[in-house]
Amino acid sequence: MQNLFAFLRRFRVFIFFSALQFLCLFLYVQFVAFPKSVYLSTASTFNGKIQSAEGKLISHFYLEKNNAALRLENAQLRKRVFTNFYRVERAKIQVKDTTYEQSYSFIPTKIVNVSVNRRNNFFTIDVGKLQGIKKNMGVISPNGVVGIVFKVGEHFSLVKSLLTQDINLDVMIGIDGPRGILKWDGFNPRKGIITGVSSDLYIKKNTHIYTLGASGIFPKGIKLGKVISKSRIEDQALWKLEVRFREDYRTLHSAYVVKSLIRKELQELQLEVPEDTE
Amino acid sequence: MNTIIRYALLFGLFFIMQVFIFNRLELGFGAYIFILPLYLMILPFETNVFALILVGFVLGISVDALSNTFGLTASSMVLFAFLRPIIFEAFRPRDGYDPLKFPTAGDMGWVWFVVVFGILFASSLLWFFVLEVFRWGETLLILRNFFCSLIASALVISVSQFFFFNTGRKK
Repeated sequence: MQNLFAFLRRFRVFIFFSALQFLCLFLYVQFVAFPKSVYLSTASTFNGKIQSAEGKLISHFYLEKNNAALRLENAQLRKRVFTNFYRVERAKIQVKDTTYEQSYSFIPTKIVNVSVNRRNNFFTIDVGKLQGIKKNMGVISPNGVVGIVFKVGEHFSLVKSLLTQDINLDVMIGIDGPRGILKWDGFNPRKGIITGVSSDLYIKKNTHIYTLGASGIFPKGIKLGKVISKSRIEDQALWKLEVRFREDYRTLHSAYVVKSLIRKELQELQLEVPEDTE
Repeated sequence: MNTIIRYALLFGLFFIMQVFIFNRLELGFGAYIFILPLYLMILPFETNVFALILVGFVLGISVDALSNTFGLTASSMVLFAFLRPIIFEAFRPRDGYDPLKFPTAGDMGWVWFVVVFGILFASSLLWFFVLEVFRWGETLLILRNFFCSLIASALVISVSQFFFFNTGRKK
Protein backbone atom coordinates (compact mmCIF):
# COMPACT_ATOMS: atom_id res chain seq x y z
CA MET A 1 0.00 0.00 0.00
CA GLN A 2 2.78 2.35 0.94
CA ASN A 3 4.50 1.52 -2.31
CA LEU A 4 1.37 2.37 -4.18
CA PHE A 5 1.17 5.79 -2.56
CA ALA A 6 4.84 6.35 -3.22
CA PHE A 7 4.26 5.42 -6.85
CA LEU A 8 1.27 7.74 -7.16
CA ARG A 9 3.20 10.58 -5.54
CA ARG A 10 6.17 10.11 -7.77
CA PHE A 11 4.19 10.03 -11.00
CA ARG A 12 1.40 12.40 -9.97
CA VAL A 13 2.22 14.95 -12.66
CA PHE A 14 2.34 12.31 -15.33
CA ILE A 15 -0.92 10.76 -14.14
CA PHE A 16 -2.65 14.15 -14.16
CA PHE A 17 -1.26 14.84 -17.62
CA SER A 18 -2.39 11.45 -18.94
CA ALA A 19 -5.86 11.89 -17.52
CA LEU A 20 -6.39 15.24 -19.22
CA GLN A 21 -4.75 14.04 -22.42
CA PHE A 22 -7.04 11.03 -22.41
CA LEU A 23 -10.04 13.31 -21.93
CA CYS A 24 -9.00 15.47 -24.91
CA LEU A 25 -8.47 12.49 -27.17
CA PHE A 26 -11.70 10.90 -26.01
CA LEU A 27 -13.59 14.09 -26.86
CA TYR A 28 -11.89 14.30 -30.24
CA VAL A 29 -12.52 10.72 -31.26
CA GLN A 30 -16.06 10.81 -29.96
CA PHE A 31 -16.81 13.95 -31.94
CA VAL A 32 -15.25 12.78 -35.14
CA ALA A 33 -16.52 9.20 -35.09
CA PHE A 34 -19.79 9.11 -33.18
CA PRO A 35 -21.15 12.60 -32.78
CA LYS A 36 -23.81 12.73 -30.08
CA SER A 37 -23.87 16.09 -28.35
CA VAL A 38 -23.43 19.46 -29.95
CA TYR A 39 -21.67 21.06 -26.99
CA LEU A 40 -18.11 22.13 -27.61
CA SER A 41 -18.84 22.70 -31.25
CA THR A 42 -20.18 25.67 -33.15
CA ALA A 43 -23.48 23.84 -33.65
CA SER A 44 -24.43 24.53 -30.03
CA THR A 45 -26.72 27.48 -29.60
CA PHE A 46 -24.40 29.57 -27.45
CA ASN A 47 -21.33 29.17 -29.61
CA GLY A 48 -23.41 29.56 -32.73
CA LYS A 49 -24.72 32.89 -31.47
CA ILE A 50 -21.22 34.19 -30.85
CA GLN A 51 -20.23 33.16 -34.34
CA SER A 52 -23.28 34.62 -36.03
CA ALA A 53 -22.83 37.92 -34.20
CA GLU A 54 -19.35 38.06 -35.63
CA GLY A 55 -20.66 36.88 -39.00
CA LYS A 56 -23.15 39.78 -39.07
CA LEU A 57 -20.28 42.18 -38.63
CA ILE A 58 -18.22 40.62 -41.36
CA SER A 59 -21.00 39.87 -43.85
CA HIS A 60 -21.48 43.60 -44.51
CA PHE A 61 -18.16 43.67 -46.25
CA TYR A 62 -19.39 41.04 -48.69
CA LEU A 63 -22.86 42.45 -49.37
CA GLU A 64 -22.10 43.78 -52.80
CA LYS A 65 -20.35 40.65 -53.95
CA ASN A 66 -23.09 38.40 -52.56
CA ASN A 67 -25.78 40.45 -54.24
CA ALA A 68 -24.05 40.09 -57.56
CA ALA A 69 -23.78 36.33 -57.09
CA LEU A 70 -27.45 36.08 -56.13
CA ARG A 71 -28.53 38.14 -59.12
CA LEU A 72 -26.60 35.85 -61.40
CA GLU A 73 -28.13 32.79 -59.81
CA ASN A 74 -31.61 34.28 -60.05
CA ALA A 75 -31.12 34.84 -63.74
CA GLN A 76 -30.04 31.27 -64.21
CA LEU A 77 -32.96 29.93 -62.21
CA ARG A 78 -35.44 31.99 -64.19
CA LYS A 79 -34.10 30.46 -67.34
CA ARG A 80 -34.44 27.00 -65.90
CA VAL A 81 -38.03 27.56 -64.82
CA PHE A 82 -38.99 28.61 -68.30
CA THR A 83 -37.46 25.59 -69.97
CA ASN A 84 -39.05 23.34 -67.40
CA PHE A 85 -42.51 24.61 -68.24
CA TYR A 86 -41.94 23.95 -71.85
CA ARG A 87 -40.88 20.38 -71.33
CA VAL A 88 -43.70 19.57 -68.95
CA GLU A 89 -46.19 20.78 -71.52
CA ARG A 90 -44.75 18.54 -74.14
CA ALA A 91 -44.64 15.54 -71.92
CA LYS A 92 -48.30 15.89 -71.12
CA ILE A 93 -49.21 15.23 -74.70
CA GLN A 94 -47.57 11.82 -74.70
CA VAL A 95 -48.57 9.97 -71.58
CA LYS A 96 -49.25 10.81 -67.99
CA ASP A 97 -45.65 11.32 -67.15
CA THR A 98 -44.23 11.48 -63.68
CA THR A 99 -40.72 12.38 -64.77
CA TYR A 100 -41.08 15.90 -63.50
CA GLU A 101 -42.30 15.17 -60.02
CA GLN A 102 -40.45 17.35 -57.61
CA SER A 103 -37.82 15.33 -55.85
CA TYR A 104 -35.77 17.92 -53.98
CA SER A 105 -36.58 21.02 -52.04
CA PHE A 106 -34.07 23.57 -50.81
CA ILE A 107 -33.73 25.49 -47.60
CA PRO A 108 -31.68 28.69 -47.92
CA THR A 109 -29.11 29.28 -45.21
CA LYS A 110 -26.30 31.56 -44.24
CA ILE A 111 -22.85 30.26 -43.41
CA VAL A 112 -21.73 31.67 -40.08
CA ASN A 113 -18.40 29.96 -39.61
CA VAL A 114 -16.03 28.31 -41.99
CA SER A 115 -12.62 26.69 -41.97
CA VAL A 116 -10.64 25.58 -45.00
CA ASN A 117 -7.12 25.00 -43.78
CA ARG A 118 -7.63 22.01 -41.49
CA ARG A 119 -7.44 18.41 -42.67
CA ASN A 120 -11.13 18.05 -41.86
CA ASN A 121 -13.05 21.23 -42.46
CA PHE A 122 -16.46 22.12 -41.12
CA PHE A 123 -19.01 24.83 -41.82
CA THR A 124 -21.61 26.14 -39.42
CA ILE A 125 -24.95 27.13 -40.93
CA ASP A 126 -27.73 29.09 -39.27
CA VAL A 127 -30.54 26.55 -39.60
CA GLY A 128 -31.16 23.62 -37.27
CA LYS A 129 -33.71 21.18 -35.92
CA LEU A 130 -36.38 23.91 -35.86
CA GLN A 131 -36.12 24.30 -39.63
CA GLY A 132 -36.35 20.56 -40.18
CA ILE A 133 -32.67 19.91 -40.81
CA LYS A 134 -31.63 16.29 -40.31
CA LYS A 135 -28.31 14.55 -40.26
CA ASN A 136 -26.86 13.50 -43.64
CA MET A 137 -28.74 16.04 -45.69
CA GLY A 138 -26.73 17.54 -48.53
CA VAL A 139 -25.67 21.18 -48.66
CA ILE A 140 -25.06 22.91 -51.98
CA SER A 141 -24.06 26.37 -53.08
CA PRO A 142 -24.68 28.16 -56.37
CA ASN A 143 -21.36 26.88 -57.69
CA GLY A 144 -21.17 23.34 -56.40
CA VAL A 145 -21.44 21.02 -53.46
CA VAL A 146 -20.60 22.26 -49.98
CA GLY A 147 -20.94 19.11 -47.90
CA ILE A 148 -23.17 16.94 -45.77
CA VAL A 149 -24.92 17.88 -42.51
CA PHE A 150 -22.93 16.25 -39.76
CA LYS A 151 -24.54 17.41 -36.56
CA VAL A 152 -27.79 19.25 -35.90
CA GLY A 153 -28.32 21.71 -33.10
CA GLU A 154 -31.48 23.55 -32.12
CA HIS A 155 -30.75 26.66 -34.25
CA PHE A 156 -27.48 25.84 -35.95
CA SER A 157 -25.97 22.84 -37.69
CA LEU A 158 -22.50 21.67 -38.43
CA VAL A 159 -21.70 20.70 -42.01
CA LYS A 160 -18.87 18.37 -42.86
CA SER A 161 -17.51 20.01 -45.96
CA LEU A 162 -16.28 18.44 -49.16
CA LEU A 163 -12.83 19.36 -47.85
CA THR A 164 -12.55 16.38 -45.48
CA GLN A 165 -10.74 13.11 -45.77
CA ASP A 166 -13.77 10.83 -45.68
CA ILE A 167 -16.28 12.39 -48.07
CA ASN A 168 -16.45 10.56 -51.39
CA LEU A 169 -18.76 12.19 -53.87
CA ASP A 170 -20.10 10.25 -56.84
CA VAL A 171 -19.63 12.35 -59.96
CA MET A 172 -19.87 12.04 -63.71
CA ILE A 173 -17.38 13.49 -66.12
CA GLY A 174 -19.33 15.47 -68.66
CA ILE A 175 -23.13 15.14 -68.80
CA ASP A 176 -23.92 11.42 -68.79
CA GLY A 177 -20.23 10.63 -69.06
CA PRO A 178 -18.20 8.06 -67.13
CA ARG A 179 -18.62 7.83 -63.38
CA GLY A 180 -15.98 8.41 -60.78
CA ILE A 181 -15.41 9.19 -57.14
CA LEU A 182 -14.38 12.70 -56.17
CA LYS A 183 -12.26 13.36 -53.10
CA TRP A 184 -10.43 16.40 -51.80
CA ASP A 185 -6.68 16.27 -52.39
CA GLY A 186 -6.00 17.47 -48.84
CA PHE A 187 -3.68 20.28 -49.87
CA ASN A 188 -5.39 22.93 -51.91
CA PRO A 189 -8.94 24.08 -51.02
CA ARG A 190 -9.69 24.46 -54.73
CA LYS A 191 -8.50 21.07 -55.97
CA GLY A 192 -9.96 17.58 -55.84
CA ILE A 193 -9.07 14.19 -57.27
CA ILE A 194 -11.31 11.77 -59.15
CA THR A 195 -10.49 8.08 -59.05
CA GLY A 196 -12.21 4.97 -60.31
CA VAL A 197 -12.29 5.99 -63.98
CA SER A 198 -11.05 3.26 -66.28
CA SER A 199 -8.06 4.39 -68.35
CA ASP A 200 -9.41 3.05 -71.62
CA LEU A 201 -11.94 5.87 -71.63
CA TYR A 202 -10.88 9.01 -73.40
CA ILE A 203 -11.21 12.04 -71.19
CA LYS A 204 -10.69 15.54 -72.50
CA LYS A 205 -9.06 18.21 -70.44
CA ASN A 206 -11.43 20.95 -69.25
CA THR A 207 -14.43 18.61 -69.26
CA HIS A 208 -16.96 19.75 -66.67
CA ILE A 209 -17.72 17.58 -63.67
CA TYR A 210 -21.30 17.08 -62.49
CA THR A 211 -22.81 15.34 -59.50
CA LEU A 212 -24.26 11.92 -60.23
CA GLY A 213 -26.83 11.93 -57.46
CA ALA A 214 -26.81 8.17 -57.06
CA SER A 215 -27.17 8.27 -53.30
CA GLY A 216 -30.08 10.70 -53.46
CA ILE A 217 -28.35 13.21 -51.19
CA PHE A 218 -27.59 15.69 -53.96
CA PRO A 219 -29.59 16.35 -57.10
CA LYS A 220 -28.11 15.08 -60.32
CA GLY A 221 -26.21 17.44 -62.57
CA ILE A 222 -24.79 20.14 -60.30
CA LYS A 223 -21.73 21.55 -61.99
CA LEU A 224 -18.73 21.19 -59.68
CA GLY A 225 -15.67 22.12 -61.64
CA LYS A 226 -13.51 20.90 -64.46
CA VAL A 227 -10.72 18.46 -65.14
CA ILE A 228 -7.36 20.21 -65.19
CA SER A 229 -4.96 17.30 -65.58
CA LYS A 230 -4.92 13.53 -65.86
CA SER A 231 -2.33 10.89 -65.08
CA ARG A 232 -2.32 7.11 -64.85
CA ILE A 233 -2.31 5.41 -61.46
CA GLU A 234 0.68 3.09 -61.26
CA ASP A 235 -0.07 -0.63 -61.70
CA GLN A 236 -3.76 0.04 -62.30
CA ALA A 237 -5.78 0.64 -65.41
CA LEU A 238 -7.31 3.77 -63.92
CA TRP A 239 -7.07 7.50 -64.45
CA LYS A 240 -6.26 9.90 -61.69
CA LEU A 241 -7.97 13.15 -62.65
CA GLU A 242 -7.28 16.46 -61.00
CA VAL A 243 -10.27 18.75 -60.67
CA ARG A 244 -10.47 22.46 -60.00
CA PHE A 245 -13.61 23.31 -58.03
CA ARG A 246 -15.81 26.12 -59.30
CA GLU A 247 -16.66 27.09 -55.74
CA ASP A 248 -14.07 28.92 -53.71
CA TYR A 249 -14.92 27.67 -50.24
CA ARG A 250 -12.89 30.45 -48.67
CA THR A 251 -15.37 33.10 -49.76
CA LEU A 252 -18.60 31.17 -49.34
CA HIS A 253 -21.36 33.01 -47.47
CA SER A 254 -24.66 31.41 -48.40
CA ALA A 255 -25.78 27.90 -49.23
CA TYR A 256 -28.86 25.68 -49.59
CA VAL A 257 -29.68 22.58 -47.61
CA VAL A 258 -31.06 19.89 -49.89
CA LYS A 259 -34.13 18.13 -48.63
CA SER A 260 -34.52 15.00 -50.66
CA LEU A 261 -38.06 13.73 -51.08
CA ILE A 262 -37.01 10.52 -52.78
CA ARG A 263 -34.03 9.50 -50.72
CA LYS A 264 -35.87 7.12 -48.44
CA GLU A 265 -37.36 5.24 -51.34
CA LEU A 266 -34.00 5.11 -53.06
CA GLN A 267 -32.30 3.74 -49.97
CA GLU A 268 -34.96 1.12 -49.38
CA LEU A 269 -34.59 -0.03 -52.96
CA GLN A 270 -30.85 -0.22 -52.74
CA LEU A 271 -31.07 -2.27 -49.57
CA GLU A 272 -32.65 -5.02 -51.60
CA VAL A 273 -29.51 -5.56 -53.63
CA PRO A 274 -28.28 -8.97 -52.43
CA GLU A 275 -24.92 -8.85 -50.67
CA ASP A 276 -22.03 -11.00 -51.75
CA THR A 277 -21.91 -14.13 -49.66
CA GLU A 278 -18.24 -14.98 -49.64
CA MET B 1 -2.03 40.48 -7.35
CA ASN B 2 -0.99 42.69 -10.19
CA THR B 3 0.51 39.67 -11.95
CA ILE B 4 -2.68 37.61 -11.62
CA ILE B 5 -4.84 40.33 -13.20
CA ARG B 6 -2.28 40.79 -15.93
CA TYR B 7 -2.29 37.09 -16.76
CA ALA B 8 -6.08 36.88 -16.64
CA LEU B 9 -6.29 39.70 -19.18
CA LEU B 10 -3.67 38.01 -21.32
CA PHE B 11 -5.73 34.79 -21.19
CA GLY B 12 -8.69 36.60 -22.73
CA LEU B 13 -6.48 38.34 -25.25
CA PHE B 14 -4.85 35.13 -26.43
CA PHE B 15 -8.25 33.45 -26.68
CA ILE B 16 -9.75 36.24 -28.79
CA MET B 17 -6.66 36.55 -30.97
CA GLN B 18 -6.56 32.82 -31.71
CA VAL B 19 -10.27 32.31 -32.36
CA PHE B 20 -11.22 35.48 -34.18
CA ILE B 21 -8.02 36.45 -35.92
CA PHE B 22 -5.53 33.68 -36.45
CA ASN B 23 -8.04 30.85 -36.98
CA ARG B 24 -9.67 32.96 -39.69
CA LEU B 25 -6.48 33.64 -41.60
CA GLU B 26 -6.08 31.42 -44.59
CA LEU B 27 -2.44 31.55 -45.60
CA GLY B 28 -2.42 28.55 -47.90
CA PHE B 29 -0.01 25.58 -47.82
CA GLY B 30 -1.63 24.39 -44.61
CA ALA B 31 0.00 27.16 -42.59
CA TYR B 32 -1.75 27.70 -39.29
CA ILE B 33 -0.73 30.40 -36.84
CA PHE B 34 -0.88 28.82 -33.42
CA ILE B 35 -0.11 31.41 -30.73
CA LEU B 36 -1.74 29.81 -27.66
CA PRO B 37 1.43 28.01 -26.48
CA LEU B 38 3.08 31.40 -26.02
CA TYR B 39 0.65 32.04 -23.17
CA LEU B 40 1.77 28.90 -21.35
CA MET B 41 5.37 29.81 -22.08
CA ILE B 42 5.30 33.24 -20.46
CA LEU B 43 3.59 32.16 -17.22
CA PRO B 44 6.02 32.72 -14.31
CA PHE B 45 8.81 30.21 -13.66
CA GLU B 46 7.45 29.12 -10.30
CA THR B 47 3.97 28.21 -11.65
CA ASN B 48 2.73 24.88 -10.32
CA VAL B 49 2.76 22.10 -12.93
CA PHE B 50 -0.81 21.08 -12.20
CA ALA B 51 -2.01 24.66 -12.60
CA LEU B 52 -0.05 24.89 -15.85
CA ILE B 53 -1.63 21.75 -17.30
CA LEU B 54 -5.09 22.83 -16.18
CA VAL B 55 -4.70 26.32 -17.68
CA GLY B 56 -3.52 24.74 -20.92
CA PHE B 57 -6.52 22.45 -20.98
CA VAL B 58 -9.06 25.20 -20.29
CA LEU B 59 -7.58 27.59 -22.83
CA GLY B 60 -7.31 24.84 -25.42
CA ILE B 61 -10.81 23.48 -24.99
CA SER B 62 -12.36 26.96 -25.16
CA VAL B 63 -10.63 27.61 -28.46
CA ASP B 64 -11.65 24.15 -29.68
CA ALA B 65 -15.31 24.83 -28.96
CA LEU B 66 -15.29 27.80 -31.31
CA SER B 67 -13.22 26.38 -34.14
CA ASN B 68 -14.57 22.83 -34.56
CA THR B 69 -11.36 21.06 -33.66
CA PHE B 70 -13.05 19.14 -30.79
CA GLY B 71 -10.13 18.75 -28.38
CA LEU B 72 -7.11 18.82 -30.67
CA THR B 73 -5.91 22.20 -29.46
CA ALA B 74 -6.51 21.22 -25.84
CA SER B 75 -4.51 18.05 -26.35
CA SER B 76 -1.46 19.81 -27.73
CA MET B 77 -1.70 22.53 -25.07
CA VAL B 78 -1.74 19.90 -22.32
CA LEU B 79 1.33 18.30 -23.88
CA PHE B 80 3.09 21.67 -23.97
CA ALA B 81 2.29 22.32 -20.31
CA PHE B 82 3.51 18.88 -19.29
CA LEU B 83 6.81 19.23 -21.16
CA ARG B 84 7.52 22.81 -20.04
CA PRO B 85 9.00 22.03 -16.58
CA ILE B 86 11.08 19.19 -18.06
CA ILE B 87 12.62 21.33 -20.79
CA PHE B 88 13.05 24.28 -18.41
CA GLU B 89 15.00 22.01 -16.07
CA ALA B 90 17.20 20.81 -18.91
CA PHE B 91 18.12 24.35 -19.97
CA ARG B 92 18.50 25.83 -16.50
CA PRO B 93 21.15 28.54 -16.19
CA ARG B 94 24.04 27.69 -13.81
CA ASP B 95 22.61 29.76 -10.94
CA GLY B 96 19.03 28.68 -11.45
CA TYR B 97 16.20 30.91 -12.63
CA ASP B 98 15.96 34.45 -11.31
CA PRO B 99 12.53 34.73 -9.63
CA LEU B 100 12.31 38.34 -10.77
CA LYS B 101 12.43 37.36 -14.41
CA PHE B 102 9.81 35.95 -16.79
CA PRO B 103 10.39 33.30 -19.44
CA THR B 104 10.31 35.80 -22.30
CA ALA B 105 12.91 36.69 -24.86
CA GLY B 106 13.38 40.12 -23.31
CA ASP B 107 14.20 38.71 -19.86
CA MET B 108 16.04 35.50 -20.65
CA GLY B 109 17.76 36.37 -23.91
CA TRP B 110 16.94 35.32 -27.43
CA VAL B 111 19.14 32.23 -27.52
CA TRP B 112 17.52 30.67 -24.49
CA PHE B 113 14.04 31.63 -25.67
CA VAL B 114 14.42 30.33 -29.20
CA VAL B 115 15.89 27.00 -28.09
CA VAL B 116 13.49 26.29 -25.22
CA PHE B 117 10.35 27.63 -26.83
CA GLY B 118 11.35 26.11 -30.17
CA ILE B 119 11.59 22.60 -28.73
CA LEU B 120 8.33 22.90 -26.79
CA PHE B 121 6.42 24.57 -29.59
CA ALA B 122 7.64 22.19 -32.30
CA SER B 123 6.66 19.14 -30.26
CA SER B 124 3.17 20.41 -29.49
CA LEU B 125 2.61 21.53 -33.09
CA LEU B 126 3.77 18.20 -34.47
CA TRP B 127 1.48 16.43 -32.01
CA PHE B 128 -1.40 18.59 -33.25
CA PHE B 129 -0.91 17.71 -36.91
CA VAL B 130 -0.18 14.04 -36.32
CA LEU B 131 -3.43 13.69 -34.39
CA GLU B 132 -5.38 15.71 -36.92
CA VAL B 133 -4.37 13.68 -39.95
CA PHE B 134 -3.51 10.37 -38.28
CA ARG B 135 -2.68 8.38 -41.41
CA TRP B 136 0.65 6.89 -42.44
CA GLY B 137 -0.10 7.52 -46.09
CA GLU B 138 -0.25 11.27 -45.51
CA THR B 139 3.06 11.83 -43.79
CA LEU B 140 3.95 14.33 -46.48
CA LEU B 141 0.88 16.38 -45.62
CA ILE B 142 1.72 16.31 -41.91
CA LEU B 143 5.26 17.49 -42.57
CA ARG B 144 4.21 20.23 -44.96
CA ASN B 145 1.57 21.55 -42.57
CA PHE B 146 4.02 21.31 -39.70
CA PHE B 147 6.86 23.24 -41.31
CA CYS B 148 4.64 25.91 -42.86
CA SER B 149 2.84 26.46 -39.57
CA LEU B 150 6.10 26.48 -37.65
CA ILE B 151 7.52 29.24 -39.82
CA ALA B 152 4.31 31.32 -39.85
CA SER B 153 3.81 31.04 -36.08
CA ALA B 154 7.48 31.71 -35.36
CA LEU B 155 7.27 34.98 -37.28
CA VAL B 156 4.20 36.17 -35.40
CA ILE B 157 5.56 35.10 -32.03
CA SER B 158 8.96 36.73 -32.52
CA VAL B 159 7.29 39.98 -33.52
CA SER B 160 5.16 39.80 -30.38
CA GLN B 161 8.30 39.29 -28.31
CA PHE B 162 9.86 42.43 -29.76
CA PHE B 163 6.88 44.64 -29.14
CA PHE B 164 4.93 43.40 -26.18
CA PHE B 165 7.00 41.29 -23.86
CA ASN B 166 10.22 43.22 -23.90
CA THR B 167 9.89 44.82 -20.49
CA GLY B 168 8.08 42.18 -18.49
CA ARG B 169 9.62 42.92 -15.06
CA LYS B 170 7.75 42.04 -11.93
CA LYS B 171 6.69 45.04 -9.89
